[in-house]
Amino acid sequence: MMVRISAWLTVGMVAAVIAVPAKADIAIGAVVPLSGASATQGEDQRRGIELAVDEINAAGGVLGQPLKVIVEDSGGRPPSALDAAKKLVAVDKVPAVIGEYSSGITLPIGQYLVQEGKLHVNIGSSSNKIRDIGPTAFSVIGLEAVSSKFSAEDVAAQGWKNIVIVGPNNAYGHGMAEGFKTEFEKLGGKVVSTLLYTEGQTSYRRELQQAAQYKPDAFIYSAYGKDGALINREAFELGVNKTPWYAIYFSMCTADSKPEYVVGQYGMDLNYIGPDGKSYEEAYKKKYGADFKTSFSGYGYDAVKIFAAAANKAGSVEPQAVKAALIEVGKDYPGATGTITFDAERQRSYQPYLKLKKTETGMDVR
Amino acid sequence: MIPIIIDIVLRTGDIALAAVALSAGYSLVKFPNIALMQYATVGPFLAYLFASWGAPLVAAALAACIAVGLIAVLLNITVFDRLLKSGSAIAMIGSLAAGMLFTAALLVTAGPDSRHFDFPVEAPLNVFGSPVTGPQLLAVAISLAAFVLLAALLFLTDIGRCMRATATNPDLARATGIDARLVVRVIIFLSGVLAALGGIGIAVKGELNILMGQDLMLPVFAAAILGGLGNPMGAIFGALVIATAETLAATLNFGPLIGKAFLFIPANYITAASFLILVLALLFRPHGLFVNEVKRV
Repeated sequence: MMVRISAWLTVGMVAAVIAVPAKADIAIGAVVPLSGASATQGEDQRRGIELAVDEINAAGGVLGQPLKVIVEDSGGRPPSALDAAKKLVAVDKVPAVIGEYSSGITLPIGQYLVQEGKLHVNIGSSSNKIRDIGPTAFSVIGLEAVSSKFSAEDVAAQGWKNIVIVGPNNAYGHGMAEGFKTEFEKLGGKVVSTLLYTEGQTSYRRELQQAAQYKPDAFIYSAYGKDGALINREAFELGVNKTPWYAIYFSMCTADSKPEYVVGQYGMDLNYIGPDGKSYEEAYKKKYGADFKTSFSGYGYDAVKIFAAAANKAGSVEPQAVKAALIEVGKDYPGATGTITFDAERQRSYQPYLKLKKTETGMDVR
Repeated sequence: MIPIIIDIVLRTGDIALAAVALSAGYSLVKFPNIALMQYATVGPFLAYLFASWGAPLVAAALAACIAVGLIAVLLNITVFDRLLKSGSAIAMIGSLAAGMLFTAALLVTAGPDSRHFDFPVEAPLNVFGSPVTGPQLLAVAISLAAFVLLAALLFLTDIGRCMRATATNPDLARATGIDARLVVRVIIFLSGVLAALGGIGIAVKGELNILMGQDLMLPVFAAAILGGLGNPMGAIFGALVIATAETLAATLNFGPLIGKAFLFIPANYITAASFLILVLALLFRPHGLFVNEVKRV
């Protein structure tokens, strides 16, 4: 008897759930690293997304409905990121997913979303391979090809001719090293050695000693937070830092380093904020009571804003319709991170960067 | 030349304490205790923990060494003594398993991120034109002090004489009234202390993370075998040989040999130097370079 009653109850509850009309919110998904080695950047991405949602809903939402972004943690691991993307598509039935941070994770989730016919917007990765993800993938952040040219020109302008490149032995490091070398040699410079280190070691002393024997005019390096901190410390201890160091993505390379170890370093970084980004910067400071933690929050913000603008233009959130509208909206779109224009392959074609130098008192824009 | 010598000294310091610990332990308990590498990891983590509670570094390091020494004795009584009854291979595999448990425990409690003792930033000192940091000097001093104390203990005290007697001929030693069990416990305790101290030396001048022990395994075994397992002072010499081989492999430019300006062995492959020496030692001098001296008291 009990069994029958509970069975009827269950049926009744299911019916009740179905009877309630589907939620009116328009939801899209985001996959960012809220834990793991890049958690600092991931949290900043999440904040950018949150600010955009607040702003859009205060102004009436998307197609007259409130917008919701379902943020999932990738843990900095490709399998978890892929699981999160699958959940967003299968359970939450979102038309678009933005994310991730690391190129090695953005690529597989982008490919999965394109397969499913959903939109993907890259907000943190710079590998040139992102370009080949597929027809419904967009980038609101400049890829390696754009940044290598910028940094190679900046390095050449310092008068450095012979340089050694130092980077992690992964997809990002290889792309960075090859991209920089190509552009730098076009300008008449010479890369005397490329040193790709294994991540997560307890010492980079030997790598640094070998690199120093080339006696380059400068070291060009890029490293994730903790590795960067150790490399900077050991370069200081070995006196290798007396040769100029140039950081590609300065805030990523030096976020965990003590300032004493990196004073005097040159570098480039993503422009935190474009000419139209002042109101965004103020909103961030007001909500979180601090300056930007990294240079990555603005891209999360821009991705959500540009999606909302495109959906409103298309009059629908259906992926193909939004895709067509995104291509229209993405022509000189005034983003918080500067003007966004998509090229023929839906990648950001121009990206403002900053030229930086670390001084005793802080970070100077050169 | 000077930078190479400095690097050899620093690297010898990294390897030697754990190698001495391994060799000293082996002299009385006849199996190579792989868990020692993990004592060298747990030691600095405990010291880091005590230091984070506000203990001065020396006190934190001392407490950590004693704690690891006690863990070593405890593990020996509860696990390794029993395994040893089934043979030294069984005990060695058991110590490998115990080592893995340590790694897992550290992974859960401390996590995979590396950290370092927070010394104030100071410009490196200039030693014959080469930069050397204060913590590096400290680490070398720790190693030297430990060797001198150990040698004094082994050769100048009663318990040292008992240890050497027991190591050479356990039956005869017991017959002359030496308490072999006490001697074994003392040496196991010492091996734990030395391994922890070695790990702390590495952590003080660099980083500490849960992979430290794993990174030490090969060079330490090579050094201990080269010096003759069971001969603690030989292990120091073994460590010097390994450190020299590694440093030369890492810093020499082999380019001119093949007519190129530069050619280096990639840093990741340099551990192969200790592999090579280990294989050569096992092939030609399986009982170490000083085989005759081990037999003498």
